[in-house]
Amino acid sequence: MTRDDSEQRKNIRRTALLMAAIAVAFYLGFILMGVLRA
Amino acid sequence: MTTAVADSHEAHEDHGPAKGLTRWLFTTNHKDIGTMYLIFSLVMFFVGGAMALIIRSELATPGLQFVHPEFFNQMTTVHALVMVFGAVMPAFVGLANWMIPMMIGAPDMALPRMNNWSFWILPVAFGMLISTLFMPGGAPASGWTMYPPLVLQTGDAFPFLIFSVHLMGLSSIMGAINIIVTILNMRAPDMWLLKMPMFVWTWLITAYLLIAVMPVLAGAVTMLLTDQFFGTSFFLAAGGGDPVMFQHIFWFFGHPEVYIMILPAFGVVSEIIPTFSRKPLFGHDSMVYAASCIAFLSFIVWAHHMFTVGMPLSGQLFFMFATMLIAVPTGVKIFNWVATMWRGAMTFETPMLFSLAFVFLFTIGGFSGLMLAVAPADIQYHDTYFVVAHFHYVLVPGSIFALMAGAYYWLPKWTGHMYNETAGKWHFWLSTIFVNLTFFPMHFLGLAGMPRRIPDYSTQFTDFNTMASVGAIGFGVSQLIFVYVLLTAKKGAHATDRVWEAPRGLEWTVPSPAPYHTFDTPPKLRVAQESFE
Repeated sequence: MTRDDSEQRKNIRRTALLMAAIAVAFYLGFILMGVLRA
Repeated sequence: MTTAVADSHEAHEDHGPAKGLTRWLFTTNHKDIGTMYLIFSLVMFFVGGAMALIIRSELATPGLQFVHPEFFNQMTTVHALVMVFGAVMPAFVGLANWMIPMMIGAPDMALPRMNNWSFWILPVAFGMLISTLFMPGGAPASGWTMYPPLVLQTGDAFPFLIFSVHLMGLSSIMGAINIIVTILNMRAPDMWLLKMPMFVWTWLITAYLLIAVMPVLAGAVTMLLTDQFFGTSFFLAAGGGDPVMFQHIFWFFGHPEVYIMILPAFGVVSEIIPTFSRKPLFGHDSMVYAASCIAFLSFIVWAHHMFTVGMPLSGQLFFMFATMLIAVPTGVKIFNWVATMWRGAMTFETPMLFSLAFVFLFTIGGFSGLMLAVAPADIQYHDTYFVVAHFHYVLVPGSIFALMAGAYYWLPKWTGHMYNETAGKWHFWLSTIFVNLTFFPMHFLGLAGMPRRIPDYSTQFTDFNTMASVGAIGFGVSQLIFVYVLLTAKKGAHATDRVWEAPRGLEWTVPSPAPYHTFDTPPKLRVAQESFE
């Protein structure tokens, strides 16, 4: 595994986790909005 | 996850696909997964189509002929869910899986094991949804919008509906993450973002939309679930909740969903028209900006779906004008496609015919959308067949024609053989005639006041309904020609690497059929581009 591969893996993991976090934030955010309005 | 990223490539570099069922169950190859998505979506297209034919058979003449009204409502609901989440979306994901890695010079998707999961969740989700047809109380019958309190009257099927929608959302989100990660991290070294093909660009934007709105749908249906089983009152007026809030949340998802189904279609057509016009795409960068504008605007127009629930005048004005604004970037796209064709050496193979029909017929759907954007007019059109005509023009000769165009365009690259062009042209012409016969009369029905989602109607609506039903049956039968084309796809002449006379892009530099593993070494984009000059 070259240094470039390792860097690419790190970037892939970072981007994937960021996108997953955004998705979870939208999911929980809208439920929270419902809770606060109720 | 890191291990899943690249080890699978290293492990598979020196051999082809596994044998038998395990190849399909455990594959991490983007081409295999793309193929599975495309076959799955075609099956769902026929399942949803069969439901559409039940609906149209019932509506062919006034009176109740074939089905109970309750079952009719189940058909309208499940038809929509199957077509949106089971046919159109997975078909575009299938195209993305097949083509994006090859278009950007990547060896595979960035997260191949998650890619396998994304696909295999879908048959479970749709098996669950379709199984509700056989449950006590039948399938969900509240419309695909699942508005409370009506949806809460669903029988035993309710939790299955909610769980299947969750699974569909999970699959879409995982697929979207994979696409974003792949495009941002695995492009060929000299492929800058603005050098990416339009299909890749439109999918990148679509994937962002998916990440933002599928969790919103999941949140909304989670709240429905807790309202039904855990004593909450998010949407129950009796408990202090607000059913209209569900509509707001649903359409915050639902309107971008429309663009999730049409932006990749724009991408497909933007690949095909230049090839058969023998000119580069006119205004590539402006197409990118237009798609981005459309995606942004799609987040701020949701309430045009619910003008009739009542809202302040300022709200009506905002949503009306924001909706109309979408016509501007969409117009940029239509202009650029026409400008690409202008003085081009055009030929009219099947992919080009479907793309041309897309431009004309999608524009009809766009214009009726503009009419619906006008708040006072919408109050008249709301819940009539005019709305049914509008969104079917966007989705059938829009999304589905683009999918057909893409399938014919890339089929020789997938199979290594030219498809039957005569059968393809029959498929195109019959589809185009019958799609218009089905959906154009619905405009008149809607303007005359025929409501949606009814199994029976007054006799003055008979003629146009009969026309629509004949068109629907003709359209359904025409799609069997496509199945014939697929079944005979490997019997045609051998395809060259470039397949067509003037395609551009890295995917045309690999042999036909595309080898199981491509671009193990990143390609040089500049070298590929020079070969196309």
